Amino acid sequence: MTFVNMSFIQVENVYKYFEDKCVSNNISLEIPEGEIFGLLGPNGAGKTTLIRMLATITTPDKGKIFLNNQPLNSNHSSMIGYMPEERGLYKKMSVVDQLLFFAELKGYTRTQAKQEVKFWMNKLDIVSWADKKMEELSKGMAQKIQFISTILHKPKFLILDEPFSGFDPVNADMVKDLIISLKNEGTTILFSTHRMDNIEELCDQLAIIHNGVKILDGKINTIRQQFFNHEYILEFMNNDLDNIETSNNQFNIIQAQINSFGRKEITFKLKENQSPQELYKQYSQSNTIIGFREKMPTIHQIFVNQVTSNS
Amino acid sequence: MKNIWVILKREYLTRIKNKTFIIMTFLAPILITAFYGGAIYVATKGAEDNTQKTIYLSSNNALVQKIDRKFNNFEFINEPKISSGGTAVTDKINSDIEKGKVNGWLIISDQDLSNLDSTELIVKEAFSVNQKNTINEFLKSQITRQILKAKGISQSMLDSAQVKGGISMIEENESGEMENSSSELKSGVGFIMAFIIYFFIFMYGSMVMRSAMEEKTNRIVEVIISSVKPFQLMFGKILGVALVGLTQFFAWILLSLVFVLGIGKYLSSGIQMPQNMPQSGMNNQQAIKTLVDQNDLIGHLQSLPYAQIIVVFLLFFLGGYLLYSSLFAAIGAAVNQETDVQQFMLPVSLPLVFGLIIAQSVVFQAPNGHLAKVFSMIPLTSPVVMAVRVPFGISWSEIFTSAAILYATFFIMVWISAKIYRIGILMYGKKPTWKDFAKWIRQS
Repeated sequence: MTFVNMSFIQVENVYKYFEDKCVSNNISLEIPEGEIFGLLGPNGAGKTTLIRMLATITTPDKGKIFLNNQPLNSNHSSMIGYMPEERGLYKKMSVVDQLLFFAELKGYTRTQAKQEVKFWMNKLDIVSWADKKMEELSKGMAQKIQFISTILHKPKFLILDEPFSGFDPVNADMVKDLIISLKNEGTTILFSTHRMDNIEELCDQLAIIHNGVKILDGKINTIRQQFFNHEYILEFMNNDLDNIETSNNQFNIIQAQINSFGRKEITFKLKENQSPQELYKQYSQSNTIIGFREKMPTIHQIFVNQVTSNS
Repeated sequence: MKNIWVILKREYLTRIKNKTFIIMTFLAPILITAFYGGAIYVATKGAEDNTQKTIYLSSNNALVQKIDRKFNNFEFINEPKISSGGTAVTDKINSDIEKGKVNGWLIISDQDLSNLDSTELIVKEAFSVNQKNTINEFLKSQITRQILKAKGISQSMLDSAQVKGGISMIEENESGEMENSSSELKSGVGFIMAFIIYFFIFMYGSMVMRSAMEEKTNRIVEVIISSVKPFQLMFGKILGVALVGLTQFFAWILLSLVFVLGIGKYLSSGIQMPQNMPQSGMNNQQAIKTLVDQNDLIGHLQSLPYAQIIVVFLLFFLGGYLLYSSLFAAIGAAVNQETDVQQFMLPVSLPLVFGLIIAQSVVFQAPNGHLAKVFSMIPLTSPVVMAVRVPFGISWSEIFTSAAILYATFFIMVWISAKIYRIGILMYGKKPTWKDFAKWIRQS
């Protein structure tokens, strides 16, 4: 059976064992070209193991990985950029030498490497650091250099393990913008993090891994739809509406609170046979409603829910 | 191939540019010269015990009583006579030794003078091996003389029968010519080479180890081995450091030559001094002797098998370094911190130290004996042992067999080390054990 898959990265039934422990248990993933894919999982779930296989550092014990429909092998390393969670650079080397070294390792010639290094140092405004040794730089500066060294060779596939850790908000935003611009240029990105807000903001798709098993994956919006609990929030103009909560009516109230603008917010959970229109109609007759929206579960909630229920 | 080159280049350039490296390159020849100069000075001058030693001599034998009582810085005097006799004599002698009035008590058995086995020298502070041997030789020759004299041989006959000097060895080379042979010179040349090899292996082998460890503890390695194979990383590193070592080595040779030539020039300008100056020290006889010795030395130097020496030195210098540095690289990749290194370094470096001991003992005594030949074939000891043996002349077939074994072992070792390296470099946390090493080798 042969067919051309549109995904840039395909992981097919991959197993990896450490001694007798199965750290990747029948994992399959597909990452479409030019998308950002979020990889989630609690500590020790097997994310790093999977990432190392994708970065051609290790190979699966069973199963296959394809990059652009070719079996992944070490020849692809020039197409891959990898920033591990635990970072480090040569302390005694200068910034420029360091960057040139990584560019050459990824197959650039010396001249090409020099051009790229110059370009990125200008772009990130760090030309004045060029001859500084790594040990003279602050942690945030070193992180910047590390990030440049990862993307210097224009990888088609970028693996970022906790890319924002160690950055202050300003630099984190800068890296975020860079990631988005790389995505817009067609780079496929795998992004592993514990920060759910980053996932919601940046990713198109995600997968949750727990104890070496993939317990959930799909497009972010689809997943959120899937976990949608038919909950709706009504926001009222005035906040002295105790009667709404106390009056016995057909709609099930699960939460009532005053929001930060001093408005009353009530969350309703609809039954199968109830529609949001009916809810709105019921309350709009005698109250001024200033907001009405569905309450989508956050990725954070889905993650906690999935991980605890699968433990 | 390109990857190995990139790794090699980084390893070489960062080390060559390092300030410590530059300082050491210039300082080491001075330090080494000072160190060996000092060591040689102490060995020849300082260590000798020149204090006068007085020793009580106990023997009822008339022949023993006639021996010379003074030689070098030893003096033998009769044990004190005390009329009361019995244990009083022993007590007096013991207290004299205790108080330091005399240095020892020599008791020569009266039974059989032809054997000194039951002769005892009682001392408070032990004499050196040299001093003991000197006394031994002195007693033997003196007693022999007295026995001969007792048999009626005159003093003059004895003197004329005294043989002096030492033999010289003449070697017949392959073309049938006779050559002066100096075992001392050969041992010296061999030992210097062995020591350089030993030193190089340890110094640069541990540099490879630290480099692997640095990449691991700084977590650089994960990024690097996503771009190059662990084997390429290890091999590039080993070759890069080898080049650093060679650079430093040749710089040292060059600097040493400059020093030697500089000192030589200084000395030759000293010789221009007027001949009649009494302080010039050397009398005619000494000067002639030095000249003869120098001619001798030149003759000896010419007799060394240079082709073999150069081939062996280069082959085993490099082979030994490659073999050991691949082992050191695996250790560096496996451990997590400097303190864990010792446990693995010791067993790995022990064979090399052992090789040097073998070189010192067995090879000096029998450079072409069985033991020497066996250790020339064991790859972990051969670099050092072969270097010591080569000035004495070894067959080319033996050289190449030994080198073939060494290089074959290196290729096997590099393959095994690469496996340990590959897994070890990503293992953080617990301190590895030998069992883990075995498991990693099987695993990959």
